[in-house]
Parts: sequence; structure tokens; C-alpha cells
Amino acid sequence: MKSVQKTTLLTALVAALGFSSFAFASDHDKPVATGGPSSNVAWTAEMMRFVAKGDISNGARLNSEAYCASCHGHAGIAPSPNWPSLAGQRAEYTFKMLKDYKEGKRAGTAHNQLMQLAVMPLSDQDMADLAKYHASFPLPTLPVGVTHDATKAKEASKMIVRGDGSRFIAPCQSCHGSKGEGSITDIPALAGMPPEYFIKTMQEYRDGTRKNDVYARMRLIAKDLTDAEIEAMAHYYAGMTAK
Amino acid sequence: MSSIHIDPLEKKWIWAVGTIVVLTWIVQLYYAIADSIHPPSNVEVIDSAKLHMTEEFAEKNLGVKKEEDGSYTVTMVAARYGFYPPMIEVPVDTKVKLRIASFDVLHGLHVPGSNMATMVVPGYVSEVTTAFTKTGDFPMICNEFCGLGHDYMYAKVRVLAKQ
Repeated sequence: MKSVQKTTLLTALVAALGFSSFAFASDHDKPVATGGPSSNVAWTAEMMRFVAKGDISNGARLNSEAYCASCHGHAGIAPSPNWPSLAGQRAEYTFKMLKDYKEGKRAGTAHNQLMQLAVMPLSDQDMADLAKYHASFPLPTLPVGVTHDATKAKEASKMIVRGDGSRFIAPCQSCHGSKGEGSITDIPALAGMPPEYFIKTMQEYRDGTRKNDVYARMRLIAKDLTDAEIEAMAHYYAGMTAK
Repeated sequence: MSSIHIDPLEKKWIWAVGTIVVLTWIVQLYYAIADSIHPPSNVEVIDSAKLHMTEEFAEKNLGVKKEEDGSYTVTMVAARYGFYPPMIEVPVDTKVKLRIASFDVLHGLHVPGSNMATMVVPGYVSEVTTAFTKTGDFPMICNEFCGLGHDYMYAKVRVLAKQ
């Protein structure tokens, strides 16, 4: 990226921080249906190969230069519980999110608007490079100062391992993996995610603010979960990489 | 020509098994001709990876549509681990054509109590036409092992009385 673009981006980010709460409030009651697909990313063999060939060293450079690191950390561990750690995240998932932000498929919150601005200068190749860079780290530990509640985590273990037959909710680990490592193609890793961010994400799926899951697969599950269950799951996954 | 020795008891069983096999063939042949039961004839290819980008299986176009001749067309997607949309409503004793495609791996589909059943093979569109004869709520279940959440893969079919 050229320095002019960098300056523009930085200004835009600062402006977004200032105005985002206003913008969010005014957009909130609009109907969400756009009629298009939830995401334009389709996992054809060519697309999977394209992401797999992402350049890790260029990803590392972009992580600093494109300001990813200021919220997501320098080794993929977020410095605050408000942002997701990206270390060990599946490259396909990170790539899909970046594309979804750029194409307006993941929008609706102030944080989303910030990301939409942040990804504006990125090319598809940049996104693949960043995705591969973050995937090259092991699954993250919690940010410094963030803890998980082991008692609550225990409450979630049945749901994670066995699911709930009476509500036809599949076990979380049937898609997200027994180590919270995610699975093909774009099922995200959840291990070591700050609980605050996990809870916020699930609430956004539940109320439909977040709708970039194709065929509403996660939205439909989140709708059936209670607040207590979501909180317990958050602590379960947060504690998965605890030493 | 030398003959091999076969124990008489074994000989009886060979005849018994042979008779069962031939009888089964006769029963299959009878129903194939009498009820014209045959392998699915609808062979239609589709790119499963881009399913959500197609017109027919776009998210906004899934569900139940009434045709001009009074029959219904149901468009659904099978993906790990669910059928989408998760509930459909159709009238009883009316022709229902189900068109379904997989977004990922091999799935199967069965609505107990009806003859709505088909495999959902990635890369193909499956089409079944039937009429539900009883009102009520019926499960639509996956009957091809598709992964660890297979036994939770479910949709509800609500068959309503005719108005």
C-alpha cells in the first residue's frame, strides 16, 4: 500500500470510530434483506487453492502495515477481549470474513463498519496472504488479563460434546472440532477466543445482525440457544487453550 | 465325469436359499412393472460449491411455491447439519414436487410415513414428486451418514388440511 492510502485509511478509521455509534443507531431499524446471497465466497477447488497459496511473509508485512495488529495483535492474539484473536484460525475462514467485509456482507455494527474500512485497500491476494499468516500460528491463548470461568465452562460440555437431541441441536464439536480447531472448509476455530467476543458474536447471529453464514446455518442454531448456554460455551472455548 | 460329494443337508439349504433369491426377484419384477417403480430418472448437474450463487437455490428462493396447475414445488438445500428451510408447509393430497441439492457432502432424505425419499448427491439436483396422504407434522431426516452431526439433521414437514 502507498503511504497516501495509509493516511486515508487511518483518517477513515478515526472518523469511523467517531461516527459509528451515530450511523449504527440510524441504520438499526432498516430491513436487513438485500436479496443477494449471504456471502459471495464459494469454495470451489480453484478458490481453495488460491487461499492455500497465500504468502505468509507478505501477510506478516500487511498485518503491521494495514493496522490489523492494532486490534488483532502481532502474533494473532488480540490485546483486548473486544476483538477476536486470529492465531490458528482457518485460512479459509479469515479469507471469507475479509471478502465479506469488503463486499458488505458482514455489516450492521460499529465494529463491522470499522472492518469494512480497514479491508478497503486489500486485494484478494492480500486477503489470502493475511489469512495464511494468521493460520500459521498455533491456536491462541486468552489475551493478558482475560480469564475464563471453569465452572461455567463445565456446564457447556454436554452441549459441545453431545448436543441436545430434544431441540435437534448438533454438538458444537461436530463442526467446530473436538479441540475447537474448526473444520473444512470455512468452519472457524473457536479455541482461545475471548469470552466477551464469543458472546457478542452469538448474540449477533441470534438477532440477525450478523448474517454472512450461508443458508443461515449458524443463525438458526443461535436462535435456539439461551443466554446462559451461550455464556457457558464462551467460557468452554476460552478455556480450551488455557495452560 | 466325477461328481463332488454334497451333504444332503447342504443340498437342501442350497435349494432353500436359491428359492428365496428367485422369489425376491419375482417380487421386485412384479412391482417394477405393476407399479412402474424405477430408478430416479432426473439427472441434473449443479455446482454444489456455488449453490448459494445459483438462482434456483439462492437463499431467498428456497421454500414452498404454488404452481399454476395447483401443485406445489418445494426447493430445499441439504447442508451439514440441516435441511433449509427448516420447516415447510404443504397441503394434504396435493402433488408436491421436491427439488433439493447438497451444499457439501452426500446426504439422504426421508419423510417417514410417506414415500418422500431420495439421496442428495453433491453435484446433482434430486427431484421427487409425491402427495402426502395424512395431515400432521412429520420429520424429514437425513439417512446417509454425512458427518458427526448426522443424527441431528432434521427438518419439519407440516401437512395441512385442504382449505
